[in-house]
Amino acid sequence: MALVLEAPEVAASVRPGQFVMLTAARAGESAPALPRPMAIYSRDQGAGTVEILYGVVGAGTERLRSFNPGEQIYTVGPLGRGFEVAPDVQTVLLVGRGIGTCSLTTVAQENAERGRDTIAVTSARNSGALIGVDFYRKHGAATVHAVTDDDGTSAPAALIASLTEQHDEKPPQLILTCGSDRLTRLCQTLSERWEAPMQVSVEAHMACGLGYCHGCASGARSQGNESPLICADGPAFAWRILAETDA
Amino acid sequence: MHSAVIDSRAHDRDNGTQSRPDLSVTVGDLVLGNPVMPASGCFGPELAPLIPFERLGAVVTKTVFARRRAGNPAHRLAETSHGMLNSVGIPSPGSDGFRSGLLRRYQAGGTHVIVSIGGLVASEYYEVAEDLADEDIAAFEINVSCPNLEQGGLAIGTSAERVAEVVSGIKELVAVPLFVKLTPTVSSISEIARAAQDAGAAALVVANSFSGLSINLRNRSSTLGTGAGGYTGPGIKPLALKLVHDAAAAVTIPVIGCGGISTAADVAEFMIAGATAVQIGTATFTRPTTMIEVIDDLGPLCEALNVRNISELIGTMDNRVTTGLSL
Ligand SMILES: Cc1cc2nc3c(=O)[nH]c(=O)nc-3n(C[C@H](O)[C@H](O)[C@H](O)COP(=O)(O)OP(=O)(O)OC[C@H]3O[C@@H](n4cnc5c(N)ncnc54)[C@H](O)[C@@H]3O)c2cc1C
Ligand SMILES: Cc1cc2nc3c(=O)[nH]c(=O)nc-3n(C[C@H](O)[C@H](O)[C@H](O)COP(=O)(O)O)c2cc1C
Ligand code: FES
Repeated sequence: MALVLEAPEVAASVRPGQFVMLTAARAGESAPALPRPMAIYSRDQGAGTVEILYGVVGAGTERLRSFNPGEQIYTVGPLGRGFEVAPDVQTVLLVGRGIGTCSLTTVAQENAERGRDTIAVTSARNSGALIGVDFYRKHGAATVHAVTDDDGTSAPAALIASLTEQHDEKPPQLILTCGSDRLTRLCQTLSERWEAPMQVSVEAHMACGLGYCHGCASGARSQGNESPLICADGPAFAWRILAETDA
Repeated sequence: MHSAVIDSRAHDRDNGTQSRPDLSVTVGDLVLGNPVMPASGCFGPELAPLIPFERLGAVVTKTVFARRRAGNPAHRLAETSHGMLNSVGIPSPGSDGFRSGLLRRYQAGGTHVIVSIGGLVASEYYEVAEDLADEDIAAFEINVSCPNLEQGGLAIGTSAERVAEVVSGIKELVAVPLFVKLTPTVSSISEIARAAQDAGAAALVVANSFSGLSINLRNRSSTLGTGAGGYTGPGIKPLALKLVHDAAAAVTIPVIGCGGISTAADVAEFMIAGATAVQIGTATFTRPTTMIEVIDDLGPLCEALNVRNISELIGTMDNRVTTGLSL
């Protein structure tokens, strides 16, 4: 499902990898009690709009689907720390699975604006569930690898083989991923092979999205310092940091 | 952070007649501009870009412990019907970290600052109270009630003797007014309320979250990392309202109502049941501007209820219809 929000402030200031909190309860309603974090799939600064893609999973997204064009939806954002692209990066590899791809697409948008190259991998169970293929092409991605479980192309061994074959010669300088533990491990292998730093966008159940409720701490840790908060310290993390926090 | 709230309800709605109802209330020595304040743990300086803190009757901090704490493992949140469960477990920067960081940001808000304090054993309450006693704060809110703690919280809040011991212990050490936030899962809230009053509390907060559980059908385990959590939100409103009614009937000090409040009408119900002020928690997650919207709605509601001063509502429940309450 897609949702286009007229939100000029968000469209003007959102950075790739940031998110918004959408309240699916209408004014005067108290359920669902918690707003839902949602990535910005694309933004149009000129039109002052942002687009969100969501899958209907449970009560929250079921309620989101009931909103009609023209209705107001309570939105807070942009929130969190997005991806960081160092100035000397020329090519970025984006590796997303399912709806997780929505956290990566604005990177491609920004790459196009800033003259950087995008290599995109979008993975899903079947071709109908693939997200972002046309979007990536439209926003200048040099290569789009659309891989699925159905035809076996999403299997890590197959994917690694095709990625290394095509990009070993001119590897990306940065790898960004979202949506799958399996792909995160795959990215780790590529990150070591190409000596390219890696960042991963992480999900957590959230209540405030701003950093004060402490509901979204990432780790299993209950001693010493609190684990990083996904909403405020993330959702994008350098892989090194996350690996150290037993998340 | 750049933030935007896209919503039809602007702050500057028209309620500007000369004879606006007086929303101020008095809690002990504190005069609040209106009866609305946040509930501990459901508010923070991070909200400053979204709501004008100076419009709140007071702000309440997340519970502070004397020493740094990490809190509980993930998942810490689960949505439920009519509210939510949390097992955050009170992570804390410790009194030193709090004093040099968060406290200053709360103080910059331009309204009274109430500091919630906690501990796992009595001596930890004394430690954090002494650490913060010289700061410019309006009151301590003693959290004897958080059901998430590994040991102390629940035990202290469920025993009149232990509540009395901790409150009088803190009272001996510091001059800051003491609010005591009671735990809801007790057999007699009146008894604990009286014990807190007799030990020197200036006000009571009634109440904290209810202990609850939710289960993931797929693996038959709790949806929360720690098992049980605190249940909060609209579902607990009737339960909290009854506790406020009973506690207010048992004491002469002011009672601050808390539990499931999300509208001005809810505030009026709590005040009629005996509350002098209220705290709003979960509803701020649903809509971060809830408290401001509620305050905006209180004036017109007072007019509709025919009161010039909102404090005229306090404890005015028609008790002919409450005979069933003690059944
Ligand atoms: C930073 C971030 C960005 C996200 N971006 C998108 C997006 O672009 N599109 C999209 O469809 N979804 C996105 N999600 C997940 C989304 O917030 C919903 O929680 C998820 O779609 C579940 O749907 P629901 O609310 O209907 O499920 P419900 O069953 O109603 O959810 C119950 C509770 O569990 C939480 N929850 C359930 N699944 C997840 C999950 N995977 N991640 C976090 N919390 C969860 C919900 O937020 C809610 O509090 C994102 C999550 C995060 C943290
Ligand atoms: C995420 C979360 C964190 C909380 N943290 C605290 C806390 O640190 N100290 C405390 O006394 N109460 C804490 N509470 C309880 C609230 O202050 C309040 O008593 C409870 O949520 C009931 O009010 P509500 O229904 O309006 O949310 C917390 C509640 C939630 C949901
Ligand atoms: S969601 Fe509240 S701190 Fe992250």
